[in-house]
Amino acid sequence: MDIFPALISVLTDPVLLGWVLLAAVVGMVVGAIPGLTASAAIAMLLPLTFYMEPLPALAFLYVIGKSGRYGGSIAAILFNTPGTAASAATQIDGYPLARQGKASKAMKVATISSIIGDFTGEILLIVGVAWIAALALKLGPPELFAVYFAAFIVIGSVIGKSVTRGLASAAFGILVAMIGLDPISSTERFTFGSFDLTNGIGLVPLMIGIFVLGEVFTQIEERGNAPLMADSGDDAARNGLTWAEYKPCLPHVVRSSFIGAFIGMLPGLGSAIAAFVAYGEGKRRASNPDAWGRGALEGVAAPEAANNAVSGPSMAPLLTLGIPGSTIGAILIGVFLIHGIQIGPTLFLTSRDLIYALFACGLIGIVMYGVIGYFGAAFVGRFIIRLPTHVLYPIIFLTSFVVAYTSRGNLFDVYVMVAAGFAGWAMRKLDFNPAAFVISFVLAGGAEEAFRQALLLSDNGLMIFVTRPVALLFLLIGAAALFMRVRSLNRQARDNALGSA
Amino acid sequence: MTLGSSPAPRVVGMALILIGIGAMATSMGIPLDQQGRWGARFFPLAGSITLVVLGAAELRKTASASQMDPRHLPAIAALLALAVVYVWLISAVGYLISTALAAPVALWIFGLRTPLGLGAATLLCPAAYHLVFFKLLGVFPPLGRYFDLLDVLGGY
Repeated sequence: MDIFPALISVLTDPVLLGWVLLAAVVGMVVGAIPGLTASAAIAMLLPLTFYMEPLPALAFLYVIGKSGRYGGSIAAILFNTPGTAASAATQIDGYPLARQGKASKAMKVATISSIIGDFTGEILLIVGVAWIAALALKLGPPELFAVYFAAFIVIGSVIGKSVTRGLASAAFGILVAMIGLDPISSTERFTFGSFDLTNGIGLVPLMIGIFVLGEVFTQIEERGNAPLMADSGDDAARNGLTWAEYKPCLPHVVRSSFIGAFIGMLPGLGSAIAAFVAYGEGKRRASNPDAWGRGALEGVAAPEAANNAVSGPSMAPLLTLGIPGSTIGAILIGVFLIHGIQIGPTLFLTSRDLIYALFACGLIGIVMYGVIGYFGAAFVGRFIIRLPTHVLYPIIFLTSFVVAYTSRGNLFDVYVMVAAGFAGWAMRKLDFNPAAFVISFVLAGGAEEAFRQALLLSDNGLMIFVTRPVALLFLLIGAAALFMRVRSLNRQARDNALGSA
Repeated sequence: MTLGSSPAPRVVGMALILIGIGAMATSMGIPLDQQGRWGARFFPLAGSITLVVLGAAELRKTASASQMDPRHLPAIAALLALAVVYVWLISAVGYLISTALAAPVALWIFGLRTPLGLGAATLLCPAAYHLVFFKLLGVFPPLGRYFDLLDVLGGY
């Protein structure tokens, strides 16, 4: 019940509400710009939040993540280009609706479904997170390492097209995190005699490079491909949304919200997978499956509910175990660290009020982006179509340099950002997985600490991980996830080969 | 182990193996702890071995066509070169001059050709970034090793 006092305290703080409102607008606009993601916006704005109080800083970035997921649907429906990977499933039915002159109707369905999904996920997080944290407090180093191990495997193998390249991305993330001084023995690792490298690789320049500069490199290939906007429609009869029209969407929205919330809790899977799983499940259960893909309102509602339901639960592993469930979670770690807040199971003992106030900001942010989106999504679309991308991306390019410098006042970080940016672009081109790389980079320190503490506790070396049942369970979960993913990809490859034969 | 076609498995596999071997050799150079245990060496070594194993798995895949579009490579190389030169220029002549030079080049690479736009970027970008980050946020600006306009304009 901590959420009610938190809600009152947030609602009576106009400055904090201002930050939440700004975040709702920024996230929606950035999410709606094809090529830009909420992760990129958050990475770029992260150093600016170092100058803010902890709650406004966290709330600002958290709500950008939420409204950014929703904003992707605007581009998917109006431009036939998903603003984010998560809204690619929305495009399947959203754009055909726009072509029929029902863009505003589709965006209203996307908005309502996003709000319901996001609220479901946030409420599940609020109800369940303290319980998970209490359980997490009982985990010792062997169990914690096993959770990390499972997270590495799931993050590396489940996202992306290639299991080997996804896992290699995770391994690269671990190796890059090892650069610098060993935190226990102060031994130099991978420094090659460079003083700059003894401080390790900074999280902020790495993320700005991967998510922002890497995207600028990618956008060079899109020069001249300006998105075409479908008519958002002024016809009230075609673009108004009635209860009778939305009612068939509700079962899909409820089911998809729970699908999204469940997938959100699993580290690394993210909104895109939730949206496609929900779309597939919705189509399978639909009374009108033939209409899906040709402009069914349910085909917009299901993925939108799922991809927004991911947002809240994806914070659960971050807040309770210190394991980011998403790239946005990985970035938020930077905010917690810079403000001296130790994330993990003890967070609910040391900063309980802050966390519930953050959840309250999340709930208020959902209402704000919902209201703005319901009445203004078409306006946002028209604003974005007028943005000159040949000016926008050079500005983002220049901004990434000064922001990377700002994080620690160090030009070496800017070189790191440039290297990470090019690496991020190359990883996308070669089917590696930048998200797995960054999340593994963040996880590696905690995983190594848990591993070495476990070995100190052990009389039988590595056997401690198989003699403790909970640790063994998580190791098996990781192995099973890898096995099932490889099997599923092999089956798809076989089907593709048979299809083309 | 892949879905659909992915670029050049042999090249990627060989690169992973070579990087993995290099990282393994470097990891073996990390000193043991006081009790003679691997300690700080364990994780780097595990990551390196994983790369070698994954590289070997990658080699077993069938080759497929590259997805790279070579038409864009000159622009990407130009942007990368600009990025590296821009950071070096910041360290050499400070933030204002380097940004005044980099801004029109970045816009030009992205296709802006109007002299007015390029000229405006030369003046406005350094001024705007300096104002926001170094004046409003109070970050100490990177000063040039050889020359810095801030020395002439009255300093920071």
